[in-house]
Amino acid sequence: MASGRLVRVLHLYPELLNLYGDSGNILVLRRRLEWRGLCCEVSEVHMGDRVRAADADLVFIGGGSDREQRIVCEELLAQRQELASFVGDGGVLLAVCGGYQLLGHSYIMGNEEVRGLSLVDLYTDRGSPRLIGNVVVESCVSPQPIVGYENHGGRTHLGADVEPLGRVLSGYGNDGKSGQEGCLYRNVIGTYVHGPLLPKNPGVADWLLARALERRYGSGELEPLDDFEELAANETMRVRLLGV
Amino acid sequence: MGIRSMAAMAAGRAVHAVLHGVLHRHASQLPGRVALAIDPQVVSHLRSKVRAGSVVVCGTNGKTTTTNLIATALEAAGMSVFCNRDGANMLPGAASALLPRHSADWAVIEADELSCIHILPQLQPSYLVLLNLFRDQLDRSGEIDHVQDVIVQALAASPKTTLLTCGDDPLCMGVAERARAAGTRVLTFGVDEDLGLPPDRVPEARFCQRCGAELSYAYRTYAQLGAFSCPTCGFARPERDFRATGVQVGHESVAFMAGFGGENAWAVRAPFGGVYLVYNLLAAASVARLANVGASTFQQVLNDYDPGNGRLQRFVIDDYPVVLNLAKNPTGLNQNISLMLSDERPKAVYVIINDEPNDGRDISWLWDVDFERLVDRQDVCMVLAGGHRANDLQVRLKYAGIAAPVVLQVDAALEQARAQRAASVLYVLTNYSALWPTKAELERRERKDG
Repeated sequence: MASGRLVRVLHLYPELLNLYGDSGNILVLRRRLEWRGLCCEVSEVHMGDRVRAADADLVFIGGGSDREQRIVCEELLAQRQELASFVGDGGVLLAVCGGYQLLGHSYIMGNEEVRGLSLVDLYTDRGSPRLIGNVVVESCVSPQPIVGYENHGGRTHLGADVEPLGRVLSGYGNDGKSGQEGCLYRNVIGTYVHGPLLPKNPGVADWLLARALERRYGSGELEPLDDFEELAANETMRVRLLGV
Repeated sequence: MGIRSMAAMAAGRAVHAVLHGVLHRHASQLPGRVALAIDPQVVSHLRSKVRAGSVVVCGTNGKTTTTNLIATALEAAGMSVFCNRDGANMLPGAASALLPRHSADWAVIEADELSCIHILPQLQPSYLVLLNLFRDQLDRSGEIDHVQDVIVQALAASPKTTLLTCGDDPLCMGVAERARAAGTRVLTFGVDEDLGLPPDRVPEARFCQRCGAELSYAYRTYAQLGAFSCPTCGFARPERDFRATGVQVGHESVAFMAGFGGENAWAVRAPFGGVYLVYNLLAAASVARLANVGASTFQQVLNDYDPGNGRLQRFVIDDYPVVLNLAKNPTGLNQNISLMLSDERPKAVYVIINDEPNDGRDISWLWDVDFERLVDRQDVCMVLAGGHRANDLQVRLKYAGIAAPVVLQVDAALEQARAQRAASVLYVLTNYSALWPTKAELERRERKDG
């Protein structure tokens, strides 16, 4: 069916925002399109490039070290409007770890409050200790619980009209207290599940792809894939952490 | 020396005597731990037993090998040495190594990067060897910036220590610049020529340590090591004090000339392979040279070197060759893949990934490993996934284009490799916590079959 359909992925600053194998997400998006006979075009945005979000179907922002994230934030603030229009137009955006913090109004670096992109109504302050460990999240975007790893000093607080990505079943999530993890706003997912989020959460990958295809072609239907290995990896960690 | 430190030493030695003499256990940690509980400064008292000098070795990859080579070379030159050979590389391990009643000429201490801040102020070593800095165990160590800060602080607290570090590594030179500005004497080593090897994935240090601009390279030797320079601010690879030239790298041997500026260069040859070993050997040779060990003594140490510690350890089990190597972070595993692919024999590959605390709980880094290099290689007959995170590894390999069955025991991997008649050698690449049980099992099989 519908071969020749194309998803254009914009990968922001892969050389700066790749602290935890974040580029694995891009590989997963590409393969899951190719395995279905669909096309995937990945454009990397580097320092000094214009962010052409209007030409993209799916934008990915990874996580970087403090220093790298600061550089990126300044670069992106100058192009905020381009990204805001994309989000407002139903564009699909995935941001993990530090990238998630950039989506909000502000976050803390050192002892300084840094202005964020205000793409989503949320902000991040800081707490102690760092929240580090495996995490399991129940979410409406994935038939399986989302499993992964988090490592953040920030505590993220959602505005009234922003849904969390899901409910924490094991681990810390946004602030270690609310039981909420990540954000879900229009077609934007932000999450502290860092680095390679998509490989063992194929439901999240397909949610993103379906939304991108739907926005561009009017139909987000995806052929099912054989996800035996992905689901085995998901289940192994889910059982280890939840006991079921 | 006060009563407290004497009591600490006596208690530590008693623990050692019981563990070692009565229970026949390795006593690498506990004696030091007990002594430190009584006197947290016990290492600063123990250091007076070291007569000639002391060396602390740190860096992400290659610590254990370099430490052992230095210690063995000093012993071969007739000196007595305290050394934490088995890699217990935090303060208790250092204390245990220094506890024996007798004195020694040298102390050679492997140190975890973050433990430098505890070891250096007390030991005040003659040299700190910083081999390299790569991304490793972010959940435990934090980002590389933090590791660098800690090493700079440790050097500030040990003002007479000379830093001997890799001039080809911009991250090490970032540490060296800051330490030098604070008064530390710095010596550097590095490779003096383009080795013409295919570049591997470089996850870090693309950017200048001083100004943040993207670094440019005349060539890279591996990872971020090479002839780097910043186009805007002048941060660049320095003139190195100790240099390797005429480098030949194979999968079973390396050879090069180690030059120390002006004097006769040493011909260095070792029966184990890998470009990273050139750096480790050069660092060890530099320390040996500084300690007045002769070239022929150092070479003899290399000829006889067989640590049996799972680093490039070779086995023959029922006539079938097996190579075991440690690979605990992306750079280590990428280098392992390079080394393995330079072996022309058709091979089966068994990768084992655990996530115990000493491995790092976070295995996200698997996505920074270039497993894609194993695809479409006629000599790679089979890839198997093992360890507590075998399923994650299997998914990583699937997206690289490799169907890798999960196999949980090295015995079973060996059987599958043999049954797959095309492969004539099995490579076992494992991260830290799986190394020891895997090595033990391979040794047991080798004894039984031999």
